[in-house]
Amino acid sequence: MKADWKRIDLLRRNASELEADAIEQYLTGNVGRRELLRYGATIGMSGAVLATLGLVPETTPRAQAAPANQTIRAGIEVPASAVDPVTTGDAGGLCMLQQVGEFLCIDGPDLVLRPALATSWKPNAKGDVWTFSLRQGVKFHDGRPMTADDVVATFDRLANPKNASNALSAFKGVLAVGGTRKVDDHTVAFHLDAPNGNFPYYTSSDNYNAIIIPADFKGDYEKSFIGTGPFKLEKYTAKVGASFTRFDGYWGPKALPARTEFTFYQGMQSKVLALQGRQVDIIVPVAVQGGQAILHDPRFQIIRLRSAAHEQVHMRTDMGALRDKRVRRAIALSLDRKGLVAGLFQGLSDLGNDSPFAPVFPSTNTSVPQRTQDIKQAKELLAAAGHAKGVNIKLTTEKYIEIPDYAVLIQNFAKAIGVNITLKVESQSAYYGKAVFGQSDWLDSEMGITDYGHRGVPNVYLAAPLKSDGTWNAAHFKNPTYDRLVASYVAALDLAGQRAVSKEIETLLLDETPVIFGYFYNYLSAAVKGLKGAQPTAMAQLFLQNATLS
Amino acid sequence: MSGLRFVLRRVALSLVTLWLLSVIVFLGAQVLPGDVGRAILGPLADPRAVAALDHKLGVDRPLLVQYWDWSSHFVTGDMGRSLVYRQPVGPFLAAALANSLKLAAIAFLLVVPLGIFGGVVAAMNVGRALDRIITVTGLSMTVVPEFVSSIVLILIFGVWLEWLPVSASWREGAGAFTQFRHLLLPAVPLVLVLFGYIARMARAGTVEALDADYTRTAVMKGLPFRTVVWRHVLPNALLPTITVIATQMGYLIGGLVVVETVFHYQGIGSLIYNAAKAKDFPMLESGVLMIGVVYTIATLIADVLYSLLNPRIRFGGRE
Amino acid sequence: MSEVTTASVAVETLRTVRRERLRVILRSPTFLAGAILVGFWILCALVGAAVVPVDPYATDLLHELAPPSAAHWFGTDQLGRDVFSRVIVGARDILTVAPLATLLGTTLGTALGLVTGYFGGIVDETISRLIEAVLALPLIVVALLALVAIGASDSTVVVVIGLVFTPVISRTVRAAVLAERSLDYVSAAELRGEGSLYIMFVEILPNVVPPILVETTVRLGYAIFAVASLSFLGFGIQPPSADWGLTIADNYGLIDGGFWWTVTFPAIAVASLVVGVNLLADGLSKALAE
Repeated sequence: MKADWKRIDLLRRNASELEADAIEQYLTGNVGRRELLRYGATIGMSGAVLATLGLVPETTPRAQAAPANQTIRAGIEVPASAVDPVTTGDAGGLCMLQQVGEFLCIDGPDLVLRPALATSWKPNAKGDVWTFSLRQGVKFHDGRPMTADDVVATFDRLANPKNASNALSAFKGVLAVGGTRKVDDHTVAFHLDAPNGNFPYYTSSDNYNAIIIPADFKGDYEKSFIGTGPFKLEKYTAKVGASFTRFDGYWGPKALPARTEFTFYQGMQSKVLALQGRQVDIIVPVAVQGGQAILHDPRFQIIRLRSAAHEQVHMRTDMGALRDKRVRRAIALSLDRKGLVAGLFQGLSDLGNDSPFAPVFPSTNTSVPQRTQDIKQAKELLAAAGHAKGVNIKLTTEKYIEIPDYAVLIQNFAKAIGVNITLKVESQSAYYGKAVFGQSDWLDSEMGITDYGHRGVPNVYLAAPLKSDGTWNAAHFKNPTYDRLVASYVAALDLAGQRAVSKEIETLLLDETPVIFGYFYNYLSAAVKGLKGAQPTAMAQLFLQNATLS
Repeated sequence: MSGLRFVLRRVALSLVTLWLLSVIVFLGAQVLPGDVGRAILGPLADPRAVAALDHKLGVDRPLLVQYWDWSSHFVTGDMGRSLVYRQPVGPFLAAALANSLKLAAIAFLLVVPLGIFGGVVAAMNVGRALDRIITVTGLSMTVVPEFVSSIVLILIFGVWLEWLPVSASWREGAGAFTQFRHLLLPAVPLVLVLFGYIARMARAGTVEALDADYTRTAVMKGLPFRTVVWRHVLPNALLPTITVIATQMGYLIGGLVVVETVFHYQGIGSLIYNAAKAKDFPMLESGVLMIGVVYTIATLIADVLYSLLNPRIRFGGRE
Repeated sequence: MSEVTTASVAVETLRTVRRERLRVILRSPTFLAGAILVGFWILCALVGAAVVPVDPYATDLLHELAPPSAAHWFGTDQLGRDVFSRVIVGARDILTVAPLATLLGTTLGTALGLVTGYFGGIVDETISRLIEAVLALPLIVVALLALVAIGASDSTVVVVIGLVFTPVISRTVRAAVLAERSLDYVSAAELRGEGSLYIMFVEILPNVVPPILVETTVRLGYAIFAVASLSFLGFGIQPPSADWGLTIADNYGLIDGGFWWTVTFPAIAVASLVVGVNLLADGLSKALAE
């Protein structure tokens, strides 16, 4: 370690309590280099501090070549509805938003927050007020400067229940209208509903609606596509495609490509065919299902990101045989997770340990042992629960990428221990129904499988699908101890504290097993061999400002 | 009944039919699961946001008000705005219709000569093996689902021989030849489906014409057989073929959801399919009516043509 | 000659006609070819599950996408399931759903055709308009839109396709009834003071059976076409059924990866079944026309 101990001592004395804790954790080896970087970024530890510790945040290596007048062509999913920073919530749409818009900070592929429109951020001691310093000299594409007013308006707009905001469910219990306050022209303070150690993620690219747009935005975003990003809109044709050009008034290093071109495709195969036919240079995202043709094709490169995206297999804790946690555990033990990952994802996936703590999260406590297939124990548990002769369960799920296959595999695994699963696979809209209890197969079914997209922190996964009052609690899991643990996890500002709680949460969930988390699959993109510097995120965003084609 | 009155009556009836169709689609759309707000915001969105969006889009108004709003605009040529894309429906529909017409035109250009040729050849060999082969094969192909023939075609011409592109989407601004190449493979399944119908009608027409007095007279006058076929048999054989082609126009324009799905083509079939899934009522209703209009006009033209070309049939004599 | 003997002679003639027809049908090569194809698949649907070499639903993650071999004659799919066994048992769902849908369509269509054809006038006019409105759209689109609306399951597919076929069948029946309507026996029955229902279903119906029979067979072919296409689009038979259309939908993204066996065999199966039914229909209509 190339650390200057004298300066470190000095640092310790001058650092805030949080920073001192992080430094301590790092020096004693409890926390690795990557984790410290990541955590340090969350609490707004300055680059100088990190540099002293011999650590510099990794950045995408920028091509040496001067900006070439290249056009980079990308193939993405067709935006499912009008592109609008307030309402958009689908992969194609949010990728469009991110082409022109920027966030206060960016959640990189390594889940480390990097400054973008904010240069630094700090929590108060309790963690319920976060103060962000904004970058100066940032201009919107129409030439107007970006100020604190725009930031306040952006977040108020998203937190307002009257605005059809897609971010509303994320902000629920975190940030309300009026919580975002201007301190001065370049400082904003977020007054939260409750302490939150991971709040900066809610202002990052993780919260894809939170691109900063002018305070006077009135709607009809597709007319302007206004933002502060390195590219500005050239042309947008709904359902067909879009093109963007370099924004010369950009505050940072200018984009390398002169132009980017996006073509919209419906479904995996059409994107793959477009890449094979060289109609585009990169496609995002690629699923293993349907992407087989290019996964092993030497003409293409696969950009692989570890992610927290997963499918939750919920089991109703208040209904039938599954009420007994031994039955739930038995089913979870019947799964051959390594086989699942190999079979469904050709190994391009992490294993799940029946809690939302994906291996990719630094706060995940890896000392909790991984659950593996154990048919003998599973059968014993079933027998102990009085189901030695077998039990019948109905699994309802949605038609979405690999989920029907996953359901068939679970059915096969469970059969080996005498659990007879009948499958009902329906369209996504039928499965989600009205998305409220009593009017949704998702929330009412005895057992089900539901898709969850990637998030930079586990907070959302921990709350809505598992807390007693959670609105997505399909397992109907009600456990006061769990609720308390989650509250303290969310409030914890230091990594050691988060890890201590996550160990308890992971252990509790392994015991109760309301939801099986079988795997956290990798987020894949595919590009032609000569493309360099293109940076997708596991949220379906695609940063092209550093991209070059050779 | 005079020709004009016949046409007017047919147009009036067609309008009634189209109006009924719009009512059926409107009522049908109401039973679609979920709501537009939910479809746009996704299953995990907050219910308050969904309610706000539904209100903004006006889909929380009473059904009759919504229908009146849409239909009163439609009759003035305004097809309304897509609820999902928040843009006028017209351009979407025009683009999809143009795509559908391109594909239909290629299929049409291939199948009509082929079908008529097949039918005439079969008729000249009535009762012989060639006749049976053409008739039975043609008939069998009409019921083979397009996705089955598409898959076989893709495997042979796209994957093994690599002669033709397996996707009907081309880069924007591609030339006519490229577009044609991309549309060739998708057009073949349609040709297979339609060949049987057209060949059967052409065969029946030819058999009848070959048997007719004027043909016998012509042959007896000593005209070469080939001339007789060209001058006397073919024109009569084509008559019933027109009708069958017209009745298939609705299918050719709007019924290609399967082919469009397999070849990733954005025609009007997939437009209404996606609109139904997203509960985008103005888009769905306008798309469905567009297919209805195309079908109605095609049958109308066929009826008029049939009546004009066939001296034996007087106006109004059908039905 | 007494009435009784006239009747018995008539019955005797009818029997001869039927026997003659049967003989013609059985000598038609197309009918026989169709019968063999359809019979094979019916057999598969009935006993396939008991005789297949491998459990068609058993996954094997170690042997995914294995090409055809001695162990797996048609190879394995993405989950390592045996394609041969799945093709054999895949006949079951479509051969349940499509005939039921056809039966429903025929029953309703016949009733509707009898009513419109017999009564005529305003009833006929109104119903014909409605039918025409629906038929302005391709049937597959009507069925698809309906299933998107109410959600796909085996029973909804039966109902939707049955209802979609109703107007088509009713048109055929109506035409046949119109021809019978003016015949003496109908007026005779009316004079006897028989009720409309009696005349329609007891007097007319037996005389329009042949066209209905042909129409039903033809419709069965289209029902299979429709169910397979809907399954392919995701709105027909639902997973984990081994249904052919569904299998092709799941796997057609694989063919440019070279895994042709996952789709080719189910495709051949669909084609052979629809062609078989069509040949049956062709043979039947030829025989009944003679």
